[in-house]
Amino acid sequence: MDTAMTSTTGTTSTTCPSCGGPIGAADRYCEACGAELSPAATPATAAIDTDTEPTVELNPSAARSAEAAPGPCRSCGGVVGDDGYCQTCGTKAAKPRDHFSEQPAPWVAAVCDRGIRHSRNEDAVAVSADAEPGSRAQLVVCDGVSSSLDSDVASLAAARAAREVLAAGHAQGMGTESSRNSAVVARLKAAADAANDAVLANTSPDSPNPASCTFVAVVVEGDLLVAGVVGDSRAYWFPDSAEPVGLTVDDSWAAELIATGVPRQQAETGPQAHAITRWLGKDAPDHTPRTTTVKVDGPGWLVVCSDGLWNYCSEAAPLADLVRQTAAANRGEPLATASALVDWANAQGGQDNITVALARL
Amino acid sequence: MAEFSATVYQNEFLPDGGTDVHAIVTVSCTGAGAAGQSGSGDAGEIIIVDTSGSMGAEGIRAAAYAAQTALDQILDGVWFAVISGNDRAQLAFPPSPEPVMVRMDQFTRQAAKDAVARFYADGGTAMGTWLRLAARVFATVPSLTQKHAILLTDGENQHETPEVLSATIEAVTGQFQCDCRGVGVNWQVAEVRRIATALLGTVDIIPAPDQLAAEFSKLIKQAMSKGVAGADMRVWAPQGAQVLFVRQVAPTVDDLTSRRTEVNALTSAYPTGSWGDESRDYHVAIRLAAKGIGQEQLAARVQLAVGDQVVAQGLVKALWSNDEALTTRISPEVAHYTGQTELADAIQEGLAAKAAGDTETATTKLGRAVQLAAQTGNEEATSRLRKVVEIDDQDTGTVRLKRSVEKADEMALDTASTKTTRVKK
Repeated sequence: MDTAMTSTTGTTSTTCPSCGGPIGAADRYCEACGAELSPAATPATAAIDTDTEPTVELNPSAARSAEAAPGPCRSCGGVVGDDGYCQTCGTKAAKPRDHFSEQPAPWVAAVCDRGIRHSRNEDAVAVSADAEPGSRAQLVVCDGVSSSLDSDVASLAAARAAREVLAAGHAQGMGTESSRNSAVVARLKAAADAANDAVLANTSPDSPNPASCTFVAVVVEGDLLVAGVVGDSRAYWFPDSAEPVGLTVDDSWAAELIATGVPRQQAETGPQAHAITRWLGKDAPDHTPRTTTVKVDGPGWLVVCSDGLWNYCSEAAPLADLVRQTAAANRGEPLATASALVDWANAQGGQDNITVALARL
Repeated sequence: MAEFSATVYQNEFLPDGGTDVHAIVTVSCTGAGAAGQSGSGDAGEIIIVDTSGSMGAEGIRAAAYAAQTALDQILDGVWFAVISGNDRAQLAFPPSPEPVMVRMDQFTRQAAKDAVARFYADGGTAMGTWLRLAARVFATVPSLTQKHAILLTDGENQHETPEVLSATIEAVTGQFQCDCRGVGVNWQVAEVRRIATALLGTVDIIPAPDQLAAEFSKLIKQAMSKGVAGADMRVWAPQGAQVLFVRQVAPTVDDLTSRRTEVNALTSAYPTGSWGDESRDYHVAIRLAAKGIGQEQLAARVQLAVGDQVVAQGLVKALWSNDEALTTRISPEVAHYTGQTELADAIQEGLAAKAAGDTETATTKLGRAVQLAAQTGNEEATSRLRKVVEIDDQDTGTVRLKRSVEKADEMALDTASTKTTRVKK
């Protein structure tokens, strides 16, 4: 989860009761330690209680995969009772919105998880793919801004709207590589527009904290990878026999610090590390995605993720090692690998929502 | 149709590493109807009267009158019998050499009253024989789902060893419920309490014979208003968890823990007897393996089951938090009943020490009881305690044992020790 820059600057006079870090007046979680902040910090107008109301209900068409029947207990594999608790170990069953996965083709998969410290999942993911491995795929991750209202609803609607736009486009341009690239970039911009519209459609007109979220999308078109980003969700390309590549640069205070020469480690752990400078939503100044194109010339892993994962492993090289090792331990199966990466982030503390989308190229 | 509901009161927040979850579960029943009329079996009632020599002519007359009053309160259609007991038990009604029961109607009622009028005082006291006969009599009517007895005694169980009585209690436990009353001051509260507790009944003192009739009438009325023949409290706890205890804490303290039977590997059942329109509170304590901060799990499903049907359920939860404002909060309901349970123990232990001549322990325990009664607002207990001790300071529990105490007052304090006051919700 991220803090929109505008909502935290000038309101950091309060501090987190858990770690003493700065918090905004409307924040529900401390961005430093992930502690849930007292309800007093929540605006009184928080009308929707997402613990009792399904967060995907505002947009029924967006609810498909997240409303599947609850499976076995995630803790012990036992049967979950009608009361929402496991009948063997008593673990509270996750709400469908709290943990869901998608696998449109065997080579593309995504897992989205609430994590441990937050009480709801404001991350969202939507992926689609053609059946033939490495042919065409679209992977979208949106991370709801925790200081805004209903961003769990907005982020899911945004990710799915973007996927629809990306999957519908078949424009191949003039057939040259540069024209193919331009066509995909145009589609990414249209997808960001659609995602932004979806956020607005799920924002109450008089909301004091309009819903907002990040946006990262990667389009796979044969040997072309085109990534577009607004905010600090990320995409990486980890070829099996070449240097790992970060496909995105965050729109964040930390990224701006890094650009001025501050070491990454220092910038990404500072008090404003997670404050983002661009986002989707009613109060977004600009939501044009910044795009990057990479040519694929060998097998590898495409990773699209939220900060719930990269918080624990930010640099491309160690993250590439982690992904390769995890994939090897899961026989290269994308869904099992994405799931294992989510488990790994939870094992590191699970301080934020976690989303991992993978494509094996 | 009887309807049950369950409400849970607890602080579900546990600190890091916390393992013990305490909750008060209030179970309420409405629309219970009358005994034997729910369509799920018949009701049976046995009146057991002590006719030992110590009752004397006056005592027997009062007991016979009380039994007749009780017969008036038994509903038509209910199966019944009357047992007279001294050092052995006799079926006083129906007149039969073999155990038998009959249905109540105007003719059987009159015949039973006539039989009771012929009671005379003679012989010793062996309560175990009375209980065994009652069990045999109930067993003659297979359609009975609700079996209740009232037992009146006036003396110690002299013609039977404690071991024989214990074996008998064990043998008849679960076969019928029994409310026990002692008349006068020559009976042993602890002895009769053992019977009543095992048979899911109450124990009380009736100081004078002329109070018998009103008490008998009240007991039978109560029994006749219990339209739900029997219910079990079921407690599900997660795999690896331990049920520390299950206690009824209102209207009286009654530890159910040792009456556990297994429903399945994770679920235990504890008999609660018959239910009328009433509300009872239970204190359930569960020990869990600690989980990480932010984790939530169910600590117990507390259910009331009538037959195989679960009719009410309350969920006891555990949520680990590092917020001390949440984890240090004490549930007022849990605190209240923890105090009331300790109060019952302090009174019983204090009186036992006093009877054994251990003045020091008696003073300490009864002082603690005075303090707890004041803290938990149990004014009835305070006024009963006042008859046994001089209270110097109830806040610190400073008391002196009274030099002369009415035996009946001391016994009343003992029998009423398990009565609790409801927490103000």
